Amino acid sequence: MIVAISGINDTDNPGPGIGVARSLKEADASIKTVGLSYDVQDPGNYMDFVIDKSYILTYPSQGWEPIFDRLLYIKESYGLDAVIPTLDAELPLYIKYQEELNRAGIKTFLPNLEQFELRSKENLDKVSEKLEILYPKTKKVFNIDQLKEAVNEIGFPCVVKGNYYKAYKVKSLPEAVYYFTEISNEWGFPILVQEVAKGEELNVVGAGDGKGGSLGLVAVKKMTTTHLGKIWNGVTIKHDKLLKVAEDFVKRYKWKGPFELECIVDEENIVLIEINPRFPAWVYFATGVGVNLPKRVLDVMFGKNVGTTSSYKSGKMMVRYTYELITDINNLSELATKGESNG
Amino acid sequence: MRIENLAINKNGFAFDPTTGETFTLNDTAREIIEDLAKGIDEKEIAKKLSKEYEVTEEEAFNDVLDFKEKLKLYGLLS
Repeated sequence: MIVAISGINDTDNPGPGIGVARSLKEADASIKTVGLSYDVQDPGNYMDFVIDKSYILTYPSQGWEPIFDRLLYIKESYGLDAVIPTLDAELPLYIKYQEELNRAGIKTFLPNLEQFELRSKENLDKVSEKLEILYPKTKKVFNIDQLKEAVNEIGFPCVVKGNYYKAYKVKSLPEAVYYFTEISNEWGFPILVQEVAKGEELNVVGAGDGKGGSLGLVAVKKMTTTHLGKIWNGVTIKHDKLLKVAEDFVKRYKWKGPFELECIVDEENIVLIEINPRFPAWVYFATGVGVNLPKRVLDVMFGKNVGTTSSYKSGKMMVRYTYELITDINNLSELATKGESNG
Repeated sequence: MRIENLAINKNGFAFDPTTGETFTLNDTAREIIEDLAKGIDEKEIAKKLSKEYEVTEEEAFNDVLDFKEKLKLYGLLS
C-alpha cells in the first residue's frame, strides 16, 4: 500500500502530514508513505523514518492539472494507491476532482463540496444554530471604514481574522488596522471582526464515514500554543457535551473524512470557532492515545471494516519538541533538480 | 459539581478531566474539596479544620465559605 500525504512542513507552524504518516506507519509498517511537498526545505522531505519518498508539487494556485499530472506520474513511476491531502489551500481541488482520482486508481476519503462549504466562516453561524451551540458575534469587513464600525460595535478586545487563515486578538484600533492590512494583503477579503469568546479552548479531532457515523473522536485542551495559536502542549479531556456536538455534526451533515472542531467552552456553553475539513497538525496525539484516525480513514477507503471506538483516557498529555536532523546537501539538490527525493 | 470529577494526586495537583484545567491545591484546600465532594457540609468541615489547625470553629467556617466562593469563581462549584 502506497499513500501520498501532503502538509509535510513540520515547522513551528506544522502541517498535519507528518502526524498522518507517522500514524499510518505505526499501524502498519509495510505502508509506504509519499510526501507531497511545495518546498524543497520542508523538514518532511528529509525525515526518511516517516516519509519514504518525496515529490515537489506546483502550488494549488496553478490549478488542478499540474497536481493531477504529478500524481499520475507518481503512480506510474513509484506506485500510488491513495492520497490524503491535509492543507486548506489544496482541499477544494482534491474535493472537486476526487472522482477523477478514483477513476485513475487513486483513492481519497473527502467531504463533498457542499459539506466543505459548511466550514466557511460565513456558514458557521447556521451550523452552530443547528448543532444548538453558540457562534460569536461576527462582522464581515472589506475596508477600513467598515473595520472601524465593526470594532466600535463589537468592542475591544476582539479578533481580526481572515476567512480561511490567520486570527489575531487585538486591543486597539491601530492594532486592528495593522492585522486587517496584513491578513488582507496575504489572503484577500473578506476580513472578519469577531467578539472574543470567554472560556477554555477545547478541540475535537474526528472523522465521519459519510453515512452519519463517526470513525472516532478525541477531545483535547490546548495547554500552550505558539504565537499563531497552534497547539504545543495539550491534554486529552472527556467533555461529554462537546463530544456529543461532534457526533451530532457528523450525523447531521453525514460528514465524510477527517475534521477538527475548534471551540471555546465556558461551563456548559460551547462556542464554535472553526471547522477544519482535514486532520489537524496534532492528529498524532489521537493516535498516541489509541484512536488512530488516519489508519481508520485509510481502511474505510478500501472498504475494510474498522473499529470506531473513541475509547481513550483523559489526562494524557502531548508535548511537542524541536529536534535537529543532520543530512547531506545532496538530498536537497536531488529535490531541487529532479523534483523528487531518492526514496 | 465539577469538584466531584477532579483527579487530585497526593501532591495536591488537581486535573479536571472535563475541561483539562489544572490547579495546585494546598493541604487545606485539598481537604475541603475532598470533603465537599463527599457531601460533607460546611459546619462539619469547619469542625474538623478547627481541631487540626487550632482556629475557632467560627473562623474555620468563614474560611470554608470564602473558599467555596473561590471554587464558584473557577466554575468548580455551582
